[in-house]
Amino acid sequence: MKTKQPFVRIVRRTDFPLWAMIIINIAAVLVAVGIGAILLAAIKVDPFVYYKDMFTIGTIDNRFAYKNFEGLIEFFVPLLITSLALALTFKMKFWNIGGEGQFIMGAISSATVALLLGNSLPSWLTLIMMAVCGAVSAGIYGLVVAFFKVKWGTNETLMTLMLNYIALYALKYFGETQAGWNFFLSGESVRPVFATFPESAWMYTIKIGKFSLNITLVIAILLCALIYIYMKKTKHGYEISVVGDSQSTAKYAGMKVGRIVMRTMFLSAALIGLAGTFYVSTAHSLSTSVTNNVGWTGIIVAWLSRLNPVMILVTSLLISVLRVGCQTAATNFPVIDSNFADLLQGIILFTVLMADFLTRFKIVFRKNTEKEVEDK
Amino acid sequence: MAEYAIELRNITKTFGSVIANKNITLKVKPGEILALLGENGSGKTTLMNVLSGIYKPDGGQIFVNGKEVSITSPEESKKLGIGMVHQHFKLIDVFSAADNICLGDNSGKFFLSKNRYKKIDDFAKKLGFEIDSRKIVMNMAVSEKQTLEIIKVLYYGAKIIILDEPTAVLTVQETSRLFDILRKMKNEGHSIVIITHKLNEVMEISDRVTVLRKGEYIDTVTTSETNNQKLTELMVGRKINLNIERPVTEKQPPLLEIRNLTVKDDEGNTAINDLSFYIRSGEILGVAGIAGCGQKELCEAIAGLRPIVCGKLIHKGESIAGLSPKKIIEKGIAMSFIPEDRLGMGLSPSLSITDNMLLKNYTQASSKFNPFINRKKGRSDAETVIKDLSIDTPSTETPVRKLSGGNVQKVLVGREIKAGPNVIVTAYPVRGLDINSSYAIYNILNKQKKDGVGILYVGEDLDVMLELCDKIMVLCRGKMMGVVNSCNTTKEMLGLMMTGTENLTAKDGKTPGIAADSNIKEA
Repeated sequence: MKTKQPFVRIVRRTDFPLWAMIIINIAAVLVAVGIGAILLAAIKVDPFVYYKDMFTIGTIDNRFAYKNFEGLIEFFVPLLITSLALALTFKMKFWNIGGEGQFIMGAISSATVALLLGNSLPSWLTLIMMAVCGAVSAGIYGLVVAFFKVKWGTNETLMTLMLNYIALYALKYFGETQAGWNFFLSGESVRPVFATFPESAWMYTIKIGKFSLNITLVIAILLCALIYIYMKKTKHGYEISVVGDSQSTAKYAGMKVGRIVMRTMFLSAALIGLAGTFYVSTAHSLSTSVTNNVGWTGIIVAWLSRLNPVMILVTSLLISVLRVGCQTAATNFPVIDSNFADLLQGIILFTVLMADFLTRFKIVFRKNTEKEVEDK
Repeated sequence: MAEYAIELRNITKTFGSVIANKNITLKVKPGEILALLGENGSGKTTLMNVLSGIYKPDGGQIFVNGKEVSITSPEESKKLGIGMVHQHFKLIDVFSAADNICLGDNSGKFFLSKNRYKKIDDFAKKLGFEIDSRKIVMNMAVSEKQTLEIIKVLYYGAKIIILDEPTAVLTVQETSRLFDILRKMKNEGHSIVIITHKLNEVMEISDRVTVLRKGEYIDTVTTSETNNQKLTELMVGRKINLNIERPVTEKQPPLLEIRNLTVKDDEGNTAINDLSFYIRSGEILGVAGIAGCGQKELCEAIAGLRPIVCGKLIHKGESIAGLSPKKIIEKGIAMSFIPEDRLGMGLSPSLSITDNMLLKNYTQASSKFNPFINRKKGRSDAETVIKDLSIDTPSTETPVRKLSGGNVQKVLVGREIKAGPNVIVTAYPVRGLDINSSYAIYNILNKQKKDGVGILYVGEDLDVMLELCDKIMVLCRGKMMGVVNSCNTTKEMLGLMMTGTENLTAKDGKTPGIAADSNIKEA
């Protein structure tokens, strides 16, 4: 037998059933958790105890368990909305990596509204005005990029990236400059500290026993459903798919590609700005770490979910549990800090990508053909 | 010396569940031109890619000069003296001719030698090729690029040369020049495998023909003992009528008139230069020309996708110049352009057939203020088109990119016709299609013609155009060389016009391309 066959070959799969797809992805997450367990065991932390703490976000035998759930929601809502918003632009192959900046813009503008209005207006009106200002200002912050891209063909990746830092340093400037005009800072403190919002700018909560359910959670899940419909059932969603697939086809079909790009980017950035508003009105103040990196984490969530809104709901919940869980677990395990969440998230990314590869290709090992057997 | 320069025995190659080659046997003698004939998707290119080391076969044996070999990379195939000229040239646009050849140099020297230009010029001259080794590939004509590809394989001592559809991009004259080169190489003892689906060329150039059908070996025949009809039967597997009908229709007033049109290409060069012509209802006007002589820009200008520099576009007496693509679609002007990659314009490859049906009418499908898309209509359109054109697809929700080339084009043409246009601009509608699908498309066009649609047919196969079109307009570098009646012209004449050697517009006194019963009133 002279015809050499390579030892392994990679063959493209044509079909992969949905149930197998779900199983293989769950398996990928489990493998990642398993690798995490080995790492934990290596530094002499009992992985079972740690994971129990982490995945229950420390709610077992905890009198203040409701606090942990509130913390989870506070992190989960902005991440969910941001990931959904990013999926909109990614579907169009427009690489908006400016979630951080847009989030901060939304936070700053709604904080401005909250601090300037004070308690002068009824709470519902204050909150609506904050949401509108947060969304519109962030939307414009994103629209600028889309406009430049459409008009002069600039690179949206670079521009959104750079605008992240402009927004971040503007926020830092407001947070550190003590001056008469700077209403962002608290007047009572000697050191520069962000002012607490007036009570009418606090997000509504619904009391269920001790637990207070933040209504942003309801809005976020509603948004998830709306964006699902928007992407799958509307003309706008259809246009986004076509533009993302082939711009020349979109033009050929008579679509106004520039307008679609600008519209979608405005919508995406506005949603992220809304997430920023929700966060500050829940936290009741600005902070320089206001984003919790959702602009970045959202990119990972959107891709892990393959831009599917329903999947985004699941994935962002998983990532939120990971984050918040690691923070709570860190209080019980001094040798390991909350950055373990980053580590696990990274491992999950790898294993899920591997799973993705396996759903597209299969690996074929060289078979012992008859002639090879003869050779032996 | 072995009887065969190359012998492939029982080659099998599968992609996933698709069997591209199944137990194929192919033998090429030294100093012979073998034509590899087969419809699209019959596995011709796959087989040759196995031979040139791009694919590894799943089973079978390869013998070169009687010795069994295993070809695991293009590098090894080169060492065995096998050279392939691909359908899409593998050249680097910004490099000179010489540098493109030196790319494959494995002599291990770190620096490019300074006398490489002279070396390659001398080599080309010795073989009787004309080429400027300093010329940048970007600036070359298609035939020059092809010559360069051939020199490239010869430079590395190829004794066995494979050409994949070499004539697809050439004019008649260029083709006959290529054939002269091939005959010369054959006389010097080279073995040549030429992949094609043009029967006339097979008859002209080859010594023997191997026919494949749907990945399987059918037969090998001696060219001198066969004819077009027999070859087609082998290729398609049944008898087929090779005549394209040209129904006669009554003369109608001009439908679309183009007057003094000038259009620039993407680089800002003049692509269409002062062009005037008209299309009547119920007529097919062919547009012939070498690839890249302004066909694409002309189509885009008519569809409103490319701004025009000057000139008039009059549709049913109304100007359509400067209207948006959408307005032009609404006027009933359908444009379909099949680019080389077949998917670039007109279809959205990742979307389903249903969604592609909606591409042009999703805004009209329901009220303007209804934000939702009407997929039901798309699905029923898709079902109709699939049935009418017998498109082979698992379902209406299959992404278009998963269909085979012929089916993709049927989806496109089907949608355009479904919209009920009165002008159809169609460029290369049968590009890369097998005989059956091609004839299906000719029939569709003829049916539209009988229904009074004016058709502008941009094509590449002159034989087909002479049979199908009523009149043929020839372009050469964006200028019109004349409009001829296809009943009283020849392929050679068209070829001369395409290269600009013959210009009929200057000959007769009247201004060409202006209808006597024009809708345009001169001021």
